[in-house]
Amino acid sequence: MKTMPARLLPAPIVVLVLATFAITTVADAADRGGHGGGARAAGGHAGGGGARASGGGPKNVHVNNSRADVRTNNVRSTSVNNVNVNRNVNVDVDRRGGCCGGWDNDYHPVATAAAVTATVAVTSAVIGSIVNAPPPGCVPVNYGGVIYQQCGNTWYQPQGAQYVVIAPPY
Amino acid sequence: MIPKMLALVLVAASFTPTALHAQGSPAAAAQPSANAVDPAAIQALKEMGAHLQTLKRFEVSTRLTGERVLADGQKLQHTATADLDVVRPNRLRAVMRSARSEREILFDGKTVTLFTPAQKYYSTVPFTEDLATLVERLEQRYGVEVPLADLFVWGTPEAPLDRIKSAMNAGQDFVGDDLCDHYAFRQGEVDWQIWITAGARPLPRKLVITNRADDARPQSVSLLDWNLKPTFRDSVFTFTPPPGAKAVEILPLKTK
Repeated sequence: MKTMPARLLPAPIVVLVLATFAITTVADAADRGGHGGGARAAGGHAGGGGARASGGGPKNVHVNNSRADVRTNNVRSTSVNNVNVNRNVNVDVDRRGGCCGGWDNDYHPVATAAAVTATVAVTSAVIGSIVNAPPPGCVPVNYGGVIYQQCGNTWYQPQGAQYVVIAPPY
Repeated sequence: MIPKMLALVLVAASFTPTALHAQGSPAAAAQPSANAVDPAAIQALKEMGAHLQTLKRFEVSTRLTGERVLADGQKLQHTATADLDVVRPNRLRAVMRSARSEREILFDGKTVTLFTPAQKYYSTVPFTEDLATLVERLEQRYGVEVPLADLFVWGTPEAPLDRIKSAMNAGQDFVGDDLCDHYAFRQGEVDWQIWITAGARPLPRKLVITNRADDARPQSVSLLDWNLKPTFRDSVFTFTPPPGAKAVEILPLKTK
């Protein structure tokens, strides 16, 4: 999808996790297919093709974001999706991992500038790097409606059939 | 005769601005000031909200284009869709899809479930109140945003119409094949626009929200499609874990 020049990922991290935690892409595809596409559009909308047209994509095809530039993870703010429910009432709430995005904000995790500019750390995976699976022994945690995989201080967010290393969400 | 007509014109000229203008300053003449709240635009929101509350059983889907602002102000755009099955006052199934993920929120009047089909993870929270309360609580306690949350708040006392600082009619426009009235509002740190189907059954067809809290002004555009004669069964609102599904605890938002 992306045509921009992209930095390559540090190879050792990818190799480390390649062999672990196979993802059930077949079951995944079956689930996705079960909800059908297209037929929901009620309004006879020109140029639509139904709800699946702009998200989701065809069955059995997964996005690959491993070539996305690491700078795309450094999100300082996002658009908002509603005018009645105030996200900022609780100003003390720690939203580091999802500071301001809504239900659609699953593209890239929000990362702190410091985390993004850090290069290879010896003991932990690089923020923004993409892996095919988290290491074994990670614990699933639902925070802000997103189910992450937490491995000690390293957090992984599912992204299509891959996982991206994110700054800790809280 | 002539003086009488002149008097009528003068009366008309001084009356029109007062309707649009709280102060009714004669110096402002025919044009309302930039910050005036047009009561007719507020009324249109109220009528749409009242109509929304009369819909007891419906499907609505949205195609959303959102934006993320990077550290230097450059913007990236993304898309997502959501399909909602709704029975008022307390049934909801929302399926949210993007190229990156698919997630579901199910609410059967007793339990809210968040489900990610790809990983077969789910989290449940007991909840027995109505949908307007649900969208508020999920947001405030868990940071979980329900797609099209406004649909459940418009037409209730929780819709903060008194916080609107500017409201105007922006004319008419088509959304798909539907003729719509277009309104524009300013409220807090957002500017927002809504396209409401013209006529006796006012439904929101398009919503644009501009976030002024950031200089880059990231904007979301939501296109809504309605089905007021849905065929879903009530069983769609109840979550039955598929084989191999794993329960995951959902953490409340942490404070700093």
